[in-house]
Amino acid sequence: MLKTTVVVIGGGVTGVGILRDLSMRGIKAILVERDDLGYWTSSRFHGLLHSGGRYAVKDKEAARECIEENTILRRIGRHCVEATESIFVRAPEDSEEYEQEWVKSCKECGISAIPITMDEAFRLEPNLSRKIVSAYRCPGAAVDGFRLLWQTVASAQRYGGQFRTYTEVIGIEVENGLVCGVKVRDRWTGQEENIACDFVISAAGSFAGEVAHMAGLTVNVKPSKGTLIAFNHRLCQRVIHRLHKSSDADIFVPHGSITILGTSSIDSAPDDTSTETAEVEAMLKIGQVTFEDIYDYRILRVFAGTRPLYSADPNAKGRNASRGFVTLDHAHDGIKHFMSVCGGKFTTYRLMAEKVVDIVAGQLGVNEKCRTAEEDLVPDPTPELMGRAKRLFPSYGAELAASRLGNEKLERVLERMEKSPEEKELVCECENVTLAEVEEIASEPTSHTVSDIRRRTRLGMGTCQGTFCAYRSVGAVDRKGVPWAKDTVELFKEFLETRWKGIRPVLWGNMLRDTELTRAIYDAALNLTGVEEIK
Amino acid sequence: MKKTDMIIVGCGLSGLFAACVAASRGKKVQILSYGAGTLAIAGGIVDLLGYGDDGKFCANPLVGIDKIAAQHPYQKVGGSAVVKRAITEFLEIAKSCGYPYLGTPEENVWVPTAIGNFKPSCLVPKSMDAKALLASKKILVVGFDTMKDFYAHMVVKNFTKRLGESRTISEHIVALNFEYGKDLRDINAMDVARWLETPEGQASFISQVKDKVDADTAIVLPPVLGLEPNYEVYDKLHQALGCSIVEVSSIPPAVTGLRLDKMLRAYAKKHSVQIIEKARVVGAEIVDGRCEAVITEGFDRKRKFYADQFIIATGGVYGGGLKTFIGQMKEPILNIDIEVPRVQTQWSHKKLFDNQKQIFAQYGVSVDETLAPLSAGKKVASNVKVIGRSLSGYDFCYEKSGNGVALTTAYKAVAAFCEED
Amino acid sequence: MRHVIDPDKCTACTICLTVCPVTAATRKFRGPKMTGPALTRLRKLVSDDDPMLDYCSNCKNCDMACPSGVPISTLNMLAKNEYYKKHPRKSKADDMLAHSEKMGKLITSLPLGATFANLGAAIGKSIGMLGSMGIAEKQELPKYASESFLSKFKKIKQTHGKRKVVFFSGCFINYNQPNVGVDLVKVYQHNGIEVATDERFVCCGSPMVSGGYIDDARKNAEKNVKLLKQWVDKGYDIITACTSCGLMLKQEYQELFDFAQMSDYAAHMYDSIEYLERLYEMGELKTDFKALNKKYIYHAPCHLKVQSIGRPTMEILPLVPSVNIEEADAGCCGISGSYGYKADKYEVAMKVGSKLFNRIKKSGAEKVVCECGTCRMQIKHGTGVEAIHPLTVLRKAYGL
Repeated sequence: MLKTTVVVIGGGVTGVGILRDLSMRGIKAILVERDDLGYWTSSRFHGLLHSGGRYAVKDKEAARECIEENTILRRIGRHCVEATESIFVRAPEDSEEYEQEWVKSCKECGISAIPITMDEAFRLEPNLSRKIVSAYRCPGAAVDGFRLLWQTVASAQRYGGQFRTYTEVIGIEVENGLVCGVKVRDRWTGQEENIACDFVISAAGSFAGEVAHMAGLTVNVKPSKGTLIAFNHRLCQRVIHRLHKSSDADIFVPHGSITILGTSSIDSAPDDTSTETAEVEAMLKIGQVTFEDIYDYRILRVFAGTRPLYSADPNAKGRNASRGFVTLDHAHDGIKHFMSVCGGKFTTYRLMAEKVVDIVAGQLGVNEKCRTAEEDLVPDPTPELMGRAKRLFPSYGAELAASRLGNEKLERVLERMEKSPEEKELVCECENVTLAEVEEIASEPTSHTVSDIRRRTRLGMGTCQGTFCAYRSVGAVDRKGVPWAKDTVELFKEFLETRWKGIRPVLWGNMLRDTELTRAIYDAALNLTGVEEIK
Repeated sequence: MKKTDMIIVGCGLSGLFAACVAASRGKKVQILSYGAGTLAIAGGIVDLLGYGDDGKFCANPLVGIDKIAAQHPYQKVGGSAVVKRAITEFLEIAKSCGYPYLGTPEENVWVPTAIGNFKPSCLVPKSMDAKALLASKKILVVGFDTMKDFYAHMVVKNFTKRLGESRTISEHIVALNFEYGKDLRDINAMDVARWLETPEGQASFISQVKDKVDADTAIVLPPVLGLEPNYEVYDKLHQALGCSIVEVSSIPPAVTGLRLDKMLRAYAKKHSVQIIEKARVVGAEIVDGRCEAVITEGFDRKRKFYADQFIIATGGVYGGGLKTFIGQMKEPILNIDIEVPRVQTQWSHKKLFDNQKQIFAQYGVSVDETLAPLSAGKKVASNVKVIGRSLSGYDFCYEKSGNGVALTTAYKAVAAFCEED
Repeated sequence: MRHVIDPDKCTACTICLTVCPVTAATRKFRGPKMTGPALTRLRKLVSDDDPMLDYCSNCKNCDMACPSGVPISTLNMLAKNEYYKKHPRKSKADDMLAHSEKMGKLITSLPLGATFANLGAAIGKSIGMLGSMGIAEKQELPKYASESFLSKFKKIKQTHGKRKVVFFSGCFINYNQPNVGVDLVKVYQHNGIEVATDERFVCCGSPMVSGGYIDDARKNAEKNVKLLKQWVDKGYDIITACTSCGLMLKQEYQELFDFAQMSDYAAHMYDSIEYLERLYEMGELKTDFKALNKKYIYHAPCHLKVQSIGRPTMEILPLVPSVNIEEADAGCCGISGSYGYKADKYEVAMKVGSKLFNRIKKSGAEKVVCECGTCRMQIKHGTGVEAIHPLTVLRKAYGL
């Protein structure tokens, strides 16, 4: 039977942060995730690394934590953080008193907020609405959720941390009021097994209630769904916040090649990632205050995630529930060495992990101090490695690939290209993803679908939303004979239907045109759904 | 004021074919085209009706067409009899251009696709003769080592699933030996087609394939047998190898569609059809129920183009012939508002590929039995027809009926204008 | 009407790839969709060496084919402009060819300047100097005329007409083929049109844009836009006889720059033959042509096709008795203004033009008719057949 010291349940940002911290303190740990890393909330958000400005007025402690962690992450996570900075803009309808209070609060929290003239603001961000009346530069940034997760795990792995995706916890083993293991099931093979351990940390986010329930306990998580809209290109080069009391659809984040607008907030089931046209309409209307031409910009897709808001009061709802995080030591409920971590913010994931592991280490009698703020998630690629990459990749590909893959994977991808130069072929022409990258990621044991490759490479996340790269990527993994490429028709459907889910709520204009192209190719020309036997 | 007999807006299959049919009847035709029309990226084969309203395969499209729902364009224009006349005319034009098509409207054939599935279609160029493929005992799927967008392995795998064990199906990769390097782009089907147009390319292909095939073999290829609407490359390879050669239905840029596009353009030009490129038609001048002119707008000024008869062949949503926004659809030239649902569950199915016609796909311009467009049930103008993808009442992707509807409605519109029908 | 320059309308359908003559000729160019809309998104994110960017010739066949109205070539030109702010130029030829007006001014202002310049080019070629500058040695450089069009124009006596036009001659007609300008004045005068010129006009900027010097083009555009507006306000229509100048002034300015009132003067812009076609449609064109007994083949320049005005020349020249003219309809000639003069693009340009060259050679036509000056040069170079402007034919037919 597999043995470890700590089992971390949940491969979102909280879980991977804890895994890294445990591993760096020399505590043996395995993380288990029911789906793919970052499948849920940790990728279904703005991709915003808060400066703290958004919280400065309402919650100074949260604001201070944000700016401190923001500073740390821009350093240790510079391969997944884009230090864009942010601009807070006030529209005529926003309160001027709030602006003054906000300026004061930022100062108190140590958040740099530099007022700029509107001429300067429009020069920096030409698409901003000309109705905006004031603007401040703050140190916000964009962060790639998928990349941060994989890089955090890579860092943990260097210290012996382990993880398993598509591994579902089906039971928590307790003996005499003390946790002794978890029972898991591999979702691809159906195989069940026990992992013996001394401690279980549930970092299951919106699903924390369900995990606790397996041990007969109650944890009050109030999932609150937030819907986000991804636009086809960078409307802005900096994060744009509305300078008002936090509300819906008031943040635009330039995220890689796209821009994300968010978000809404409604109570939901933990796995509710559905999106509706009506939500999009409402958000666009608000977004137009910031970018007046918003209806002219091409939307790529819409997606939603659930915030795992914790409330001791089971009746608390939505945006008023605390965004701070809570650790629940279930010793109080009669089970020792079982802890649930609830709530929290992506930006402060490292700090949350530090606090949790401080408690766990104490209970396990480990004295190592937290070092997660001192070390980079992944080392910089050497100039030699980048030089090799530049010689092999098509233009614009080397840097993108380096930041997507990290050094070890990049090295392996380069070896593939050196061996067969034709693998520089672009499978995804919208996001510049090469055949070598697709083959490398496809061959990793954590990949089971083309969507898994997508999450690690951005394959299919650009303009055509998978229309062209679906054919190429399925063809490529089939040719490579990876074990999961058995039924190619199903692989097409899995990938294209996942893309469709995000397009469906915005089915007008160019999104509808694009959908017609997709159908013309896969339905009309290739007859994807035609499975007749021809004799 | 210059005035022509007929103005056709749009240069896709329906527009081009309408121009050819009208010009062959002596009409002076002017095409206003904004963009090249999607024929150049589509497959170039003519689907008539693969699946009926019940989702079942139609062995005989004409029988299926007469059973289809009343709002379907086929039914609108008079059913199988009209379809048959349209197809006959298409086949004659193709023949006269030296690029004859195979097939009859009475029979669907199973055309192989680039994923190794088969699709029901009706008229195909000689280089896509699916019957020859199915009659062969051995199938050799030929890929090219550095060419993008064709995966022989996947085709073999799915052929085996669909065709069963009765045939030998294998894969063979032809080496292109093209120069390769960082500053050279990926190789696409058009590059290989250009290569196969050269004597060197043909010789290399033949020498690499010859000992893998015999008279019982059918070679299956991506669409690479030349870019021009003729069978020169096909005939040369066929002669040298002595076996059947079949191109698959593929993803854009599908060279087979490019050939059909070139063929029809050449025919149209030969018959003095004038094509004005980049002409964005934004409106029409309708006086007393007759369209006098259509209006274009560009970077300089609005222009009016006068004619006796007008055909709108603007390609539906994809071609820009229908503009959509949340809960709105509009035909911008005739200014027809089309009522569409605002709620997403009434606008699309939960799944994109759902084994039923997609809801949004069936919205479009309503017409009467002569293809005259209706707005709120009333005729917009007596001398205007709407044809092709902008019509309501069908989902070409699901039905496999796109080019069939394009040809039939194009033919019908011209016939109605010429008072033949 | 607002002309939005962004990649959003692209659905990645690849139709532009099927019509791009450069993509067909060389794999050193990745094609319009990738270079334009696809990479425009990524260039906001990363910068990198991109030798392929230089291969777009700005011929605009992609724009013409695009069903979505994406200004693909203009996205390419904008990217090129930004690119060369951070990357070194491959050769001096870029600068020289983009700013050909400077050279023209210098040469024609000197006594015997043109003679020496043409001689100099010949010598430069023979000693390999042009090659070292990045100019294609096999290509024939346009010869400079001994007297510019504007100078010749002053000597032409005009009668007043009820229609007034200002002729934007452009650099090629002014410095290299001034007789085309004279042809225009003669033909227009014959039809009762009074022609004005304006020495304050500067190069339209077309070679600057395609060479990646958009910032320089902007300065020229600012000057021209003001002048053009003034002429239109005075009741003049604007005529160009070079299709690239025409395209630049009425379309590309609007795509690239945001000067006020560009659409006001653009509404009064005409290609020289388009203007005559309009007269013809109104029944005002004189058709007192004498028979020419000629067989011509017509090449429509890409920059004419994209103007959405059809083929005016094919409407007007057939009016001349016993003129047999057919359209070549064989694609781009390859030259794209200055593109085919660059040493590293010469082979590409010749390959692009090969289909047209074969078509012309097989046609048995005595002469090629074409509105674009550099197309005419390239056609002559590729076929040996002389190519002339349709105005030249008309002048002859009128017996002027």
